[in-house]
Amino acid sequence: MKIVAVTACTAGIAHTYIVAEKLQKAAEELGHDIKVETQGSAGIENELTAEDIANADVVIYTHDIAIRGANRFAGKKIVDVPISTAMKQPKSLISTIEKKLAAK
Amino acid sequence: MPLIDILNKDIIDLNVQGNTKDEVLRYMANVLLNNGYINDAEVFVKDIYEREAEGPTGMGSHISIPHGKSFSVLKNGIMIGKTVNPIRWESSMSDDGFQDTHLIFLFCVSADAEFARNHMMLLSELAGKLGNDVRVAKLSKAQSKEEIMDLILCEDDQLGEAEVLEEEEIVDLDIDL
Repeated sequence: MKIVAVTACTAGIAHTYIVAEKLQKAAEELGHDIKVETQGSAGIENELTAEDIANADVVIYTHDIAIRGANRFAGKKIVDVPISTAMKQPKSLISTIEKKLAAK
Repeated sequence: MPLIDILNKDIIDLNVQGNTKDEVLRYMANVLLNNGYINDAEVFVKDIYEREAEGPTGMGSHISIPHGKSFSVLKNGIMIGKTVNPIRWESSMSDDGFQDTHLIFLFCVSADAEFARNHMMLLSELAGKLGNDVRVAKLSKAQSKEEIMDLILCEDDQLGEAEVLEEEEIVDLDIDL
């Protein structure tokens, strides 16, 4: 599946970026395409384009503070979890999403 | 600016003293003070605790990543400390909410957004490197400053193999879709 994700933690210093990397690795390992936008102290990096979003099967929000530009994802299937879920169980998160999408 | 510019051997300490989280944070704040990174250790530690109150900074594999933004910061950087003693630390990875920490990455970031911005790109790149389980496993065993710096600076495909301490077991999560 094609995944887009947005990460945003409270301080925007560490978890935003660690979790982005964990999601990237977990998705690749499980054979999926992923692009992760980070919203942190360094600003918005690896910003998702309208095309990225249009092509995505699913959107993952992993955050402890509000996601900026959430209106970009209107009409998409969205999974909304706290940073800690993606920090601890990135592979489980993606594999659960895959199962749930397949069951729809 | 390359990643190596944010690393500084003077603020890597392989003998961090203390038995508690508070003791090691204060020890590390003093190293930052003595190296001109901050101008007030009390204020800096207080700001670290403010972030600590929002959620755990233990990231498993005996590594913790305390951080916070502080107006006491004169120069952005990252202090790396290997503790002499295991330190009980709030963790997002363990079921009981705590871990034993041996290695600390203490992010030292100015609260002045404009001032912080340049270095934030480097600090965020460095943070991202900690999302790699093999790197984290190797860092937790590293014995020298050079080894720590090499592990941070190398690319993922140069890491080789390592036994990951806390391999994730894939389970079904309770999420809405």
